[in-house]
Amino acid sequence: MDYIITTEGLTKKYKTFISVNDCSLHIRKGTIYGFLGPNGAGKSTTMKMLLGLTAPTKGRFTIDGRRFPEDRLAILKEIGSFIESPSFYANLTGRENLDIIRRILGLPKDSVDDALELVGLTEFGNRLAKKYSLGMKQRLGLAGALLGRPPILILDEPTNGLDPSGIHEIRILIKSLPGLYNCTIMISSHMLSEVELMADDIGILNHGRLLFEGTLDDLRQNTRKAGMSADHKLIENQLEDVFLAMIEQDNAARKQRAKL
Amino acid sequence: MRTLAVELRKEKRTGVIPVLLAVGILGAGYAFLNFIVRKDTLLGLPLAPMDVLLTQLYGMITILNMFGIVVAACMIYNMEFKGTAIKRMYLLPVSVPGMYLCKFLILLTLFFAAVALQNLALVRIGMTDLPQGAFEMGTLMKFAGYSFLTAMPVLSFMVLISSRFENMWVPLGIGVAGFLSGMALANSNLNLLMIHPFLIMLKPAVAMSAQPDKMVAIAAFIETLAFLGAGLWMAKNLRYE
Repeated sequence: MDYIITTEGLTKKYKTFISVNDCSLHIRKGTIYGFLGPNGAGKSTTMKMLLGLTAPTKGRFTIDGRRFPEDRLAILKEIGSFIESPSFYANLTGRENLDIIRRILGLPKDSVDDALELVGLTEFGNRLAKKYSLGMKQRLGLAGALLGRPPILILDEPTNGLDPSGIHEIRILIKSLPGLYNCTIMISSHMLSEVELMADDIGILNHGRLLFEGTLDDLRQNTRKAGMSADHKLIENQLEDVFLAMIEQDNAARKQRAKL
Repeated sequence: MRTLAVELRKEKRTGVIPVLLAVGILGAGYAFLNFIVRKDTLLGLPLAPMDVLLTQLYGMITILNMFGIVVAACMIYNMEFKGTAIKRMYLLPVSVPGMYLCKFLILLTLFFAAVALQNLALVRIGMTDLPQGAFEMGTLMKFAGYSFLTAMPVLSFMVLISSRFENMWVPLGIGVAGFLSGMALANSNLNLLMIHPFLIMLKPAVAMSAQPDKMVAIAAFIETLAFLGAGLWMAKNLRYE
């Protein structure tokens, strides 16, 4: 299998708290990988480790055959990312913010207009970023990630703060990207139904542990075999129900282990 | 070079460039005004005319420069923390120590421009207001270089401090505390106190002679490199989390 991102036993420990525990991910080239998990599951921490924002306590990972920290600059050249909240220079306009990124990446001037158009921010490009609404800031962050159409995109809850039509637009955009220029996307979201509509593969994380990794059909089959569907009355086989059932079962097992 | 160009673009609307240029203009204006108002009193002091020109005006100019450096250093990193822009930089193929060095160089250049403006004013005063033949260009250049060098530890220290604190009030508070403690200790002859960057900057301002103090100059040079080295090391090794 042609994996572009692989992690082996990735672990992040903060004093007594384990945020990510022995997590091994396999992301196929040219696919959309949905990274699911409840709040505090360790999704953002995993993504931060992949981007070198935080160092793993244990384990390792490769991105397109390269490793951190030796190949930091080469890796970051290939990745467009959006982590947690949008980051921008408040004193600059949206266009100027993107121009800073463009210059760092050494891209042609028209890539800024291309990115603004992709996220529907063209008419607000000359407004100061600090005057943007939350949704517009989110779009600006996404435009920064898409600038120059990088081969890998790591997006952490990119539709947060967007209105329903904005969510729909961005979802369609993200879904179209692998077909448009053969990129690989790793996306986390709390909107589980949203991931279901976009992702080819998914990984489910709970309390830092990877509970499942595979295609959506694999997940449904697994849960049926495990007998969760009967207990939780799966409605129309929605991913949300499968996901919740899996998390609940894991939480119950954890509680039991804690009692022992 | 690309990092420097990017850093300069980031400065837009931050006020860093106007602050240091204003410090230069205000310092020059103060020197002119002071010499117009107090010319006879100043030249009546029991000091050589060049010592009067260089040491009697320098107190206020140094304080202006010090506050200019503190405020500009706070502003140059505040724009990185506001809107968490620095997080974006960590996600881009850019050298973080390179970014730090460029910020230092921008402040250094702007401060040089401010000092140049102030010294141009002193040249003008020296040529027109000092007794015939008393003005010595070489002495002024030497003292200007000395006072510029003694300001470098504060600049280097403030860039380091402002790069480590997200809340701008922390480096600003440290800067004010440094200024106050520096003022209190400025006349001390204890060599150990040379470790205090603000004290070194105040040395030319409290001196009664325009002759540079070698010991102070060496201490300034070492401290500048030490703070700059520490800042570059931290930028490289202490991750943003």
